[in-house]
Amino acid sequence: MKEQKAAFASGNEIAAVAVRQIGYDLMGYYPITPSTQIAENLDLMRAEGKTDLIMIAAEGEHSAAGICYGASVGGGRVFNATSANGLLYALEQFPVQSGTRYPMVMNVACRTVSGPLSIKGDHSDIMYMLNTGWLILFAHTVQEVYDFNIMALRLSESVNLPAVVAFDGFFTSHQKRRCMCFAEDSDVRAFIGEKKETYPFFDIEHPVTVGSYMNEPDLINNRYQIHQAMEDARCGLSKLFAEYGEFSGRLYHEWEGYCQEDAKTILILLGSSYDTALEAVDVLRQSGKKVGVVTLHVLRPFPADEICEACMSAERILIADRQDSYGAGGGNLSLEIRAALQKKGCSVKVKSLVYGLGGKDFYVEDAIRMFEWAERDDTPDFEYYGISAGTALEERDFFAPLTRDKTAVGATRVEETESGITVSGGTLNATAAVPKRLAPGHGACPGCGIPVNLNLLLRAIEDPVVLLFQTGCGMIVTTPYPKTSFKVPYLHNLFQNGAATLSGLAEICYRKQKKGEIPPGDIVFIMVSGDGGLDIGMGSAIGTALRGHRLLLFEYDNGGYMNTGYQLSYSTPMGARSSTSHLGKNQYGKTFFHKDMPQIMAAANIPYVATAAESNPPDFIKKAAKAAWYAKNEGVAYLKALSACPLNWNDRPDKERDVIGAAVDCCFFPLYEVEHGKTSLNYDPEKTGKKIPVVDWLSMMGRTKHLCREEYQEIAQELQKEVDRRFQCIKEKV
Amino acid sequence: MESVRLPVVNQSGYYEIRLESIGGLGANLCGKMMGELGTKYMGLNSASFSSYGSEKTGTPVKAFIRYCEASKDIRVHSPVTTPHLLGIFHDALIQDHGIFSGCNSDSIVVMNTENNLEDPCAAANNIPSVKCVFTVPAQKIAIETHSRINVVMLGAMAKASGFIPIESVNKICEETLGRKYPQTLSNNLEGIRRGYNEVKRVELTLTGRTEISSEKETEAWGYQTAPIGGVNPRFGSSVISDLSASRQGYFPFFLKERCINCGLCDSACPDMVFQFQKGEYRGKEMMVNTGLDYYHCKGCLRCVSVCPVQALVKGVESEHPDKQWFLPNQDLIRVPDYYEAAGPDGYVTSESYLTEKRIEGGEI
Repeated sequence: MKEQKAAFASGNEIAAVAVRQIGYDLMGYYPITPSTQIAENLDLMRAEGKTDLIMIAAEGEHSAAGICYGASVGGGRVFNATSANGLLYALEQFPVQSGTRYPMVMNVACRTVSGPLSIKGDHSDIMYMLNTGWLILFAHTVQEVYDFNIMALRLSESVNLPAVVAFDGFFTSHQKRRCMCFAEDSDVRAFIGEKKETYPFFDIEHPVTVGSYMNEPDLINNRYQIHQAMEDARCGLSKLFAEYGEFSGRLYHEWEGYCQEDAKTILILLGSSYDTALEAVDVLRQSGKKVGVVTLHVLRPFPADEICEACMSAERILIADRQDSYGAGGGNLSLEIRAALQKKGCSVKVKSLVYGLGGKDFYVEDAIRMFEWAERDDTPDFEYYGISAGTALEERDFFAPLTRDKTAVGATRVEETESGITVSGGTLNATAAVPKRLAPGHGACPGCGIPVNLNLLLRAIEDPVVLLFQTGCGMIVTTPYPKTSFKVPYLHNLFQNGAATLSGLAEICYRKQKKGEIPPGDIVFIMVSGDGGLDIGMGSAIGTALRGHRLLLFEYDNGGYMNTGYQLSYSTPMGARSSTSHLGKNQYGKTFFHKDMPQIMAAANIPYVATAAESNPPDFIKKAAKAAWYAKNEGVAYLKALSACPLNWNDRPDKERDVIGAAVDCCFFPLYEVEHGKTSLNYDPEKTGKKIPVVDWLSMMGRTKHLCREEYQEIAQELQKEVDRRFQCIKEKV
Repeated sequence: MESVRLPVVNQSGYYEIRLESIGGLGANLCGKMMGELGTKYMGLNSASFSSYGSEKTGTPVKAFIRYCEASKDIRVHSPVTTPHLLGIFHDALIQDHGIFSGCNSDSIVVMNTENNLEDPCAAANNIPSVKCVFTVPAQKIAIETHSRINVVMLGAMAKASGFIPIESVNKICEETLGRKYPQTLSNNLEGIRRGYNEVKRVELTLTGRTEISSEKETEAWGYQTAPIGGVNPRFGSSVISDLSASRQGYFPFFLKERCINCGLCDSACPDMVFQFQKGEYRGKEMMVNTGLDYYHCKGCLRCVSVCPVQALVKGVESEHPDKQWFLPNQDLIRVPDYYEAAGPDGYVTSESYLTEKRIEGGEI
């Protein structure tokens, strides 16, 4: 047994430790709760020089999985971590990874899949992996997250199939527990061994083609090879467990059980609930009830024989699923165990309960009730546990609907004249008469810029509006069920396809109006996105722009994935610290320049592109009114506002307008518009003598103020140069 | 290491602690430190976690800690429902029925309050039957020592618990905070020391105090009553949320006679606090600032910063129990029956070094 030391860590923290100790080459990732901390912890270790892991923050999970695939084809040891919708977005890549037989390890901190959006834990994501040809280990404790990560890579490389280490989001990923880790990284590396490449890709003397086009005679054979590899893994598992047992002192099996040997009633659960249920067994055994509990450590290859053996003594089995395969009469765990029992010819009575969805807590009492439920003859074979019929909520409206007569107060007027679209009125005082489309009581942080920018946008628009939000802080804080802050029609769709969704929504409205099914009259369709939504959603936004639907894309750019704890987005300033761009002796913060989304959109040749800042309200209101006009009459308008995030910019909530003003004055965020391809600069700090160095702005925020220090001078100068260069480009276009 | 003896454990063998706080006061880190010190310095096994949700400040947060003998595994993953020790980080929280949930006459409650009332719980509608209440002016001590509320509370809870040695608390502070913010370590140690020394037991009179009911019957949609698909027809319903607890001691004080109705406050406010109505100002018909909706003001003071004429100034909340110019949202067509304290979600999704630093208020 190798020397070990005790740590007090969460599942995510310990996964990062395992990754560091194993000495992976590369991690391709995209932040998603609750798995993000793994990348965050590794980034911190990178910054401190504790690992030389290459970390690539992709612009979405689909790309992250692609990065991992490329790196594994190249012969690197590769790691990824994701959850829920991120896993589903990347799903297409997974059968390619296994089908072309490249090993790697991915951790899945299991979380429920949208929608409606929830970020809490259940097993609805991991079950999508069952048919991908990946090995799947499931850890129910922090200790197992560590151990399984070490075993997974060896298993993966031994059969040339990629492997998942799954564990409960939050319950395991975030709860801190005592956990043993190997004292020496070298021991871990020795256990895993050298990586062997079957077909070294960079062997120029022996070039290979990876990713053939295959027809019907061949594909089935390729699939059979995957099946064989799974069977090899099945055979190899017991040896691996035994070796690891000797190596660590912790002997695992395909399954784990408690008091199951003589149990008449067995409860089978996956993940952290297993541990909770152990307490229930102790309680029930005290009153003489012969109950036991079983969990699985391996989902692929599925240990059918072993699980049947585990349940040999049982007269009744209750399988508790933390997800449902709707319409199938149980979750996937149930279906597989039922099939396994049938295979063995067991006649045991089996029931299934779907429980704990969306992270609904599982208490000892719940496990006790489940046992009681299993033992009763009058309970059905399949049911949901923990649902409630509910009561009626008061339905009287709090507000009058915001019909046109309420909002069209005439405070801002837009006209088409010979010289173009002109806006008159639009003062702050006059537009205060436009009722707010957003009700108060939303949960944004004190001083948050998102509602400020939304209100500045919407006070300029007097037509009815329809809002669509991509995932982000803006939607999370405004729609905490059963409340909503929106007083107008609102739709949330995924993080990456809001613009596309709005295209469909708008086109149906226009069609219905044409057919006379709904009243005519302008409606302004607005997509709202921020928190990095135009990284992952850029393709969809550009596609929408190129198609030219009549709608408005509004970006509140807070420069990071703020809703998940501030990971870097592509619009984070270079040098800024974030949870995935730490500061340390080996890293100075984010290593590349901020994305220039307005210019990207301008290159799509849409009728109207503009930037606006709350520090200049009249300009903001004017542009918002113009953007709405173009969205109604011509095609896609894109408006971007820099949006303050006091929590993550790490500055004072009350000073945010000054911070935004400084971003404008230093030309990091120039105020300009591109109207039918014609650029005009709306505010030139050089001319008014207000121009300040970029460091003056950076010094106002905790996330960037280190750049004022001598040691980071070079970075600050580089950023200054880039900002100046971009500003001159705009000026040249004027 | 010599094991600390737990004074009491529940049926399953755990000593359980729950911290009730709002985002920004450092309960999450405090919980982590309490968990860690169990394993590392008290010879116990321990576990800790916080309530999770989207990342934001000012919303209710809970942290949970479990201790047991070192030889025993901690198997339970669910939140602490019947705490032996309850830490309350903000006295505004005692208005909320739920925070005492699961306490019984043996529970120890440690409360951050400067309130010197005989019964600090008297303000709450639901007076718990807790016998053992300690109070500590943690905010005041934190300000005086340039430390954080969470370390003061940590010291106070250590004392009140009767078994957490101050030496182990100091050690964990040195290890956790000392490594991350070495320049503030001595302040934090002083905060702990004063929390430990200044926490005091409050004698409670038992008249009129009742057992806490476990769960209040609440109205909620369920599978029979909820609109399908999660569709929510209650437009604007967040207005029933009372966000006053987000304010951290300060609020915008309105001096109407100075106001020029420029509307800058309204343009800078994230929370629709300003109630502009048609009116007259200096003989001119215009929109006029008629008041502030303090139910929804989170105290960010953006409006104070942008006001060009100091018609809005930073006021100390405790000096103004009755706020002048308090006007509920003017667009309401009926007054909601109630304003609920907002935010069922906590905010902790991320516990990286950087996040902690931000949430713990570092480096502003």
